[in-house]
Amino acid sequence: MSTLTVIGVGNRLRADDAVGPLLIDELSKLNMPDVELIDAGSDALGVLEYLEQREHVIIIDACSMGKGPGTVITFAPHEADMVLDQGQISLHGLGLAEALKMGEALKMLPKRLKIIGIEPLSIQLNGKISPPVLGAMKKAMDHVHREVLNTQGLSET
Amino acid sequence: MSRDLNIKVHHLTRVEGHGNIVVNMKDGVLEKAHLSIVEPPRFFEAMMKGRSFHEAAIITSRICGICSLGHQLTSLVATEDALGLEISEQTVLLRKLLIHGATLQSNILHAYFLAAPDFLNVGSVFPLIATHKDVVLRALRMKRLANDIGDIVSGRAVHPITPVPGGFTRIPEKAELLEIKRRLLEEALPDGIETIETMKALAGAIPQFERETEYISLKHADEYAMYEGGIYSSDTGILPVSEYLNVTNEFIVPHATSKHAKFNRNSYFVGALARWNNNHSQLGEEALGAAEAMGLKPNCYNPYMNTIAQVVEAVHCILDSVRIIDKLVDNGLKNEKPNQTPTRYGRGIGANEVPRGILFHDYTYDNKGNIVAANCIIPTGQNLANIDDDMVKLVPEIMDKTKAEITLNLEMLVRAYDPCISCSVHMLDVDFIE
Repeated sequence: MSTLTVIGVGNRLRADDAVGPLLIDELSKLNMPDVELIDAGSDALGVLEYLEQREHVIIIDACSMGKGPGTVITFAPHEADMVLDQGQISLHGLGLAEALKMGEALKMLPKRLKIIGIEPLSIQLNGKISPPVLGAMKKAMDHVHREVLNTQGLSET
Repeated sequence: MSRDLNIKVHHLTRVEGHGNIVVNMKDGVLEKAHLSIVEPPRFFEAMMKGRSFHEAAIITSRICGICSLGHQLTSLVATEDALGLEISEQTVLLRKLLIHGATLQSNILHAYFLAAPDFLNVGSVFPLIATHKDVVLRALRMKRLANDIGDIVSGRAVHPITPVPGGFTRIPEKAELLEIKRRLLEEALPDGIETIETMKALAGAIPQFERETEYISLKHADEYAMYEGGIYSSDTGILPVSEYLNVTNEFIVPHATSKHAKFNRNSYFVGALARWNNNHSQLGEEALGAAEAMGLKPNCYNPYMNTIAQVVEAVHCILDSVRIIDKLVDNGLKNEKPNQTPTRYGRGIGANEVPRGILFHDYTYDNKGNIVAANCIIPTGQNLANIDDDMVKLVPEIMDKTKAEITLNLEMLVRAYDPCISCSVHMLDVDFIE
C-alpha cells in the first residue's frame, strides 16, 4: 500500500469543479513513488471506499468557502464546518460532506486526512475552467508537495 | 373542509439543479401541486457535437457521478448502432454484469440511505449510524461489492476506462470473476436476505396511496430487461427503440426548465416499479419470493413501492450476476479486441434500463465518425409529469394531516423516484470555524 493517497473529486464537465481530477492528471505526470492517485470523479459518496484502510489521504476538491475564486486552503475535517445537504430528495444530494460525516461516525477515516479546497468561480455545465482557478493549480500542487514532504518526514521518524 | 395550504420546500440553494416542491390550496381547492425544477438546460447536444465516436461514451459517463455507467453503456449502444459495429456475446454479458452492479449499488443506497430514514421517521441516514450501525455497514458492504464489480469489469478510478465502442480494452481474469461470484454468494446474498427482512419490518410505514398510470420500460423476449429490448407500454404494448421519440413526446412546462414527457396519457412512470409491473414474470423465484415477503404485488400502483421494487431487483441483480459469471467462465474468457471498424455512418439509438428508468441516447455521425446531432432523454425527465400528477391526486387525499405531515409525504413521494436533477455536482460547502 502506498504511503500517501491523493483523491481528486469533481466533475470534468463542470468548469472549475474539474480542478480535482485535473490536478490528479498533473500529479500523475510526476511519477511520485509511494503516492497513489485516484480520480474519484463526481461520485463523492464513493470516496468513502478509498478512505478506509488508508493511513494518509489528501482530498482535492472545489470548495465553496466564501473566499475569492482561486483561493487554495488546506484543512483537516475538524477545522471546518462542512455544510450538510438537509432534506435529501435524491441520492444525488449525497456529497463529500455527507461521505466524510458518515466516515467519521463509522470510524473509517484515515489517521491523517487533509482537504485541499479550491474556491471556484463557476461550476456551470459544459463550461471551461476559469482563469483564477487555472492560476491556482500551481499553488494547489505546492500544497500537495508540502503534504508529501510531511508524510515522508513522518515515515522517517 | 375548506382549507388554505401553501407548501414550498426549497431543496438546496447552494448548487444549481435542485427541485422545489410547490403546493397551493385555497379554500380546500388545489390550485397548484408540482415539482419545480430549476436545473439549467443540459447542453447535451452542445457537449457532444463534433466529438469522435471514441470520445462520446467517455464524455457522457462524466455527466453524472451517480449515473455514470448507465450513460456510458447507453452511449456505446447508440454509437454501435450508428456505425454498424457488431459486438460479441462476451461483450454483451460483461455489459449486463456491469448494469447489475450499478443497479444493485443504486437500488441499495436508495433503499437504505433515502427511503429507510423516511420509514423510520428520522430525517436522514445520519441518526441511523448511531441506532442501526449494522444496517448502515451492510448497505456500505453491498455498495462496495457493486463498486468492485465495476472496477474489475470496467476499470474505474484507478484504471483506464475499459468499455469502448465495439467491446472492452481489457477482459477481466477468470480468477477475478470467480472472486466476485464468491462474494456475491457469501456476502451479498446473505446481506440481500437481511435487506428483505429490514424492509419487511419497515413496510408498514410506506404510505398507502395509489394512482394507476402508464408504466414504460424495456421488454426483452428472454429475460427481465435491463440491457436491450423493445420499449414496452403497459397501455399499448411494444415498440422498437427506433421509435422512442413517439413515446417520449417531450414538452415544456412553465414550472420546470427540464422537459416533461407523455405517451398515451398525461404522464408515465419509468423505473423499478415500471420494470416490475411490466416484466415481473421474468424474475427468478428468489426475487419473486422477496417481492411476496415485502408485500409487492403485480400491477402495483403505489409509487412509494418503487423502493420495494428496487430491493426485489437487488436480489435479482445478485443472482443473475452469478449466472452471468458462470456463463462467461463456461464459455471460456476470450481476449477479444474491440471491433472499431465502422460499416456505416449515420444515426443510432441506444436504450437501457438504468436504476431510475429507461434512458435514451441518440447520435448522428458524419462520415468521419464525428457527431453532428445528439439527444439524450433521462429517466427523471420522463418521470416529472408523473410526479406532478401523483401530487395532484395525493394532496386532497391527505388534506386532514398537518402541514408537516403533508410536506413529509410529498418529500417521500419525490424521494421514491430518486430524481437525478442535479446531474451532477458535489461541491463541498465549507464554513471555517473561527
